[in-house]
Amino acid sequence: MTQPSSGGAALSVARLSVAYGNVVAVHDATFTVAEGDACAITGPNGNGKSSILMGVTGMVRRLGEVTIFGAPAKNGDVRWAARHGLTLVPERRQLYPDLSAGDNIILGCYTWTRSIGKARRSEPYGRAVELFPELKPHLNQAAGTLSGGQQQMVAIARGLAANPKILAVDEPCLGLAEAVAKRVYDVLTQIHAAGTTLIVVEEAPRRALTLCNRRVEVRNGMAVNSRGDGGAA
Amino acid sequence: MKFGNLLIAGITTGSIYAMFAVCVAVWYRVSNILNLAVGDFAMVGALGVDNLYRVRGLPLPAAVIATLAVVAVFAYAYDQVVLRIAQDGPRRMEGIVVTFFFTFALSFFIDGVAKMLFGTDVHAAPALWNGASLTLGSLNFERAGILVLACAVIIGGAFWLYIRFTLGGKALEASGENSIGARIVGIDTRQYRRVIFVATAVIAAVFGIVESPITGYTYLSGATISLTGFIAAAYGGFRKPGRALLAGLFIGVLEAMLGGYVSAEYGDTVMYAILAALILAWPRGLGFESAVSG
Repeated sequence: MTQPSSGGAALSVARLSVAYGNVVAVHDATFTVAEGDACAITGPNGNGKSSILMGVTGMVRRLGEVTIFGAPAKNGDVRWAARHGLTLVPERRQLYPDLSAGDNIILGCYTWTRSIGKARRSEPYGRAVELFPELKPHLNQAAGTLSGGQQQMVAIARGLAANPKILAVDEPCLGLAEAVAKRVYDVLTQIHAAGTTLIVVEEAPRRALTLCNRRVEVRNGMAVNSRGDGGAA
Repeated sequence: MKFGNLLIAGITTGSIYAMFAVCVAVWYRVSNILNLAVGDFAMVGALGVDNLYRVRGLPLPAAVIATLAVVAVFAYAYDQVVLRIAQDGPRRMEGIVVTFFFTFALSFFIDGVAKMLFGTDVHAAPALWNGASLTLGSLNFERAGILVLACAVIIGGAFWLYIRFTLGGKALEASGENSIGARIVGIDTRQYRRVIFVATAVIAAVFGIVESPITGYTYLSGATISLTGFIAAAYGGFRKPGRALLAGLFIGVLEAMLGGYVSAEYGDTVMYAILAALILAWPRGLGFESAVSG
């Protein structure tokens, strides 16, 4: 099910802290994700798992060092992270409800092009749409009218259209029925098998570890444990 | 053919309201600020060209280009200084101060400067297309009115094509719908705020230049136009440009009909009464609830 780590560090995070006003959400988190890893970030809700991803991808400002494929990441610059291969599929999906599913997906290409023709013909966009045959009949439908599972697939497809080398997925199965959650994990497995490094934030470690070969456990905003356990729960 | 001529006049002014309403709605979507100064930019366009051409003796094309350039530079500077401090700084301001106050203040500021530069008399930019009005049967088409409609169709059409067929246009819509989702794919919503604010100012100035031969402008004319554009935008909850466009046309036609059939003097009074009644009767359908609750 899982692939062994094959390369050097895709992402390294050192002494990462994220605060919202006076509330410290992440404190001194340090971990590395090797190229080809599937890494689960687990822990109870409200312990800062999502904030780690927000800080790493630049959605919020942070303290500490983040390095993506050896290059020190610019603080608070999502675009920089995306251009250097790290794309976020955020919690609660953050789609554009009145735009069609197809437009939602193609906007993932905005990280690397301004040309809609180039985006449509591109390999990442084609691959993103191919991966979800069940979305085909709904591509012209407003994203806000899709089911929760379909919306999650649109969000993942949008992430893939950005052509990521590292895909960071935040709570992909939140609020989804078990069968749909399984389908989402199948797709994540396919994405990982195709060579994309994965980071999955997951409240339920059991499900995450069916896919992931590494795990970072977060308690009270601190990354307390980091191990490669080969997928065993 | 009184009705036909009133309809033509109504559609002409309505197309201006519609364009301004679309500008207000689109900019609100990306900035969460209501542009209450849009009519003042129209006034600056009309009086600026008049001043440069008639008073300072510049050739007409130079006067037009210089006026539009000044408007664009001023709008850009305003965004860079005021809006950047208000929205992009470490202490980001939220709520009613940002939504209304800054552009309200801008409107008064522009009026004050215009009063100093252009005086208090009624003026108009010179007609860009001279000659008697064209007739078709008993219908009269003023040349300036045809230019206004042509500008509305060209600018509106270009904007529609941009939204519909370019990735930049879709990104603009996306940043109006979900600013977090927009940032995730690297869309710079601040850039859209800046570009649309400058574009709105220039578009408003163009309409002021083209339309002023019909009605004439004083330094205070901007507020009325802003108000009407603002109300038309409100009919789409400030978020639906398509509805704002229809509302703008509707208000223009209603205004012309009331002026022609009811009372030239009290037409506006009746019009605002009707608009208020429509909102009271049908708040949700007209988008007012979403305007209030966001």
